[in-house]
Amino acid sequence: MTAKRIKATIRWITDSWMVILFFVFFFLFWEWSVDWFSIPRYILPKPSTIVVNASADLPRLIDYTYITGLETILGYLTAIVIAIPLGLAITFSSILRRTIYPFFVSIEMTPKIAFAPLFISWFGFGLLPKVIIVFLVCFFPIVLNAILAFGSLSDELDRFAKTTGASTFKVFLKIRIPSALPQCFVGFKYAAINATVGATIAEFIGSDQGLGFYIQIVTGNMRPDLAFAGIFLLTIMGLSLFGIVTFVERALIPWHISQRR
Amino acid sequence: MLAAISIKNVSKSFSTEGQPILAFGPADLEVNEGDFVTLLGPSGCGKSTLLLMIAGLIPCSSGQIIMNQDEVLSPRHDIGMMFQDSTLVPWRSVLGNINLQLELRNLNPNDFQDKISELIESVSLKGYEHLRPHELSGGMQQRAALCQALIHEPKTLLLDEPLGKLDAMTRENIRKDLQNLWMNEKPTVLMVTHSIEEAVQMSSKVCVITPRPGLIDKIIEIKLPWPRDLEVKRSQEFADYMAEIQEVFQGYGVI
Ligand SMILES: Nc1ncnc2c1ncn2[C@@H]1O[C@H](COP(=O)(O)OP(=O)(O)O)[C@@H](O)[C@H]1O
Ligand SMILES: [Mg+2]
Repeated sequence: MTAKRIKATIRWITDSWMVILFFVFFFLFWEWSVDWFSIPRYILPKPSTIVVNASADLPRLIDYTYITGLETILGYLTAIVIAIPLGLAITFSSILRRTIYPFFVSIEMTPKIAFAPLFISWFGFGLLPKVIIVFLVCFFPIVLNAILAFGSLSDELDRFAKTTGASTFKVFLKIRIPSALPQCFVGFKYAAINATVGATIAEFIGSDQGLGFYIQIVTGNMRPDLAFAGIFLLTIMGLSLFGIVTFVERALIPWHISQRR
Repeated sequence: MLAAISIKNVSKSFSTEGQPILAFGPADLEVNEGDFVTLLGPSGCGKSTLLLMIAGLIPCSSGQIIMNQDEVLSPRHDIGMMFQDSTLVPWRSVLGNINLQLELRNLNPNDFQDKISELIESVSLKGYEHLRPHELSGGMQQRAALCQALIHEPKTLLLDEPLGKLDAMTRENIRKDLQNLWMNEKPTVLMVTHSIEEAVQMSSKVCVITPRPGLIDKIIEIKLPWPRDLEVKRSQEFADYMAEIQEVFQGYGVI
């Protein structure tokens, strides 16, 4: 097992050395080109300056990362907790399928972020309006993919289940749910990518804390170095959320075709 | 002899763009208890459709199907069915997929341990029980699906091209195993195939179906000794049956 793991790590390194090298070159090029092309510091700072200045402001950055992270996670999890049961209900109720479902499909076209100013005027500058925005951004891809997932069982499996005479509940537990998981994860991953975007923009619109707020304030103060630090932390946050979802996906559905090499 | 399955004036139309189009029938057929009947016909003639109607999974457009004295109006639970496309679920191993049939029927897989190993051994899947379908070859998947369809010991088997995806050598082996199983337990078998050789080798009766819309044109009783081993297959009688059926298909212009 450990030998296998070491082998896998070595393979990962040999497979990804090119992209690692690319990143190294990218940052080196950035570092040097700022001097070569004499770009003013208040337009584009050097990566090394960003690291040094960000460390000086680290406590605030950590605080704000926590705030934005909390908004993201709360909104994302609430979306999952509400969207999955609702997706199930819509799949199995013909009334809901003819009412709420088309409603959702049309709302999906609305840019959810457009609601942000309204929510902020209704709920203030605190956590709640941001959580609601993240929730809205995540909810629709999750619920729509869940409906797709639970509604599309192959004819063969459906018929096979019918010949056994198993109860709807049993078929649900043993066939429908596992077959639906891959498509559900399409929604989870798409939502994970958009969750931090929702939180950031909601903070741009009205906030007194969080990384989105921070980026806006420091940019106003001609401190692009600190703005880049905020962007970097948001990137890490987005990657972590996506990474966790991918990890859970691998653990839950290792058999799925997209998980195979 | 009792008719296990009788098909009376059964047809099936599908509506395509609002227009009903006849896909199969009307046809009559009697399958006796313990018979091994093959449905032989070109693709698209309605063989799968007929099996699905017999299983009660899709309704007939006309006519009536009686199985073991009652009319088929809803899905039958007393059959073993192997579908044309795989019903193996990708998240379970071979063993898990066999157990799935039992679990869905509220049967305890522990009570079937011996039967399961016997079945797995008979289709040469021993040692592969714990692999998932995607780790198996197409032929092995089909053998696993056969085990899944047989494990609850049904008295009636509906098999839709069960040996279709196998390579020639494995196919010969599985034919032998299926024939042994049938000779020992004498279930009623209705099997779809498009191989004339397979039909003659396996069946007590061959139903020859015309191109779409399929009609049961000829029912040929195959009076060859059992088991139909290589020696039987090399006999003149075997060749005569093959030739007889080939001529019928030549008449349809499909070969
Ligand atoms: N659900 C369906 N809707 C419309 N046409 C169908 C449907 N199922 C089967 N058919 C048509 O019925 C005919 C018989 O199909 P099938 O029973 O699958 O043939 P076979 O198994 O003999 O190859 C085909 O021409 C097919 O296109
Ligand atoms: Mg078919």
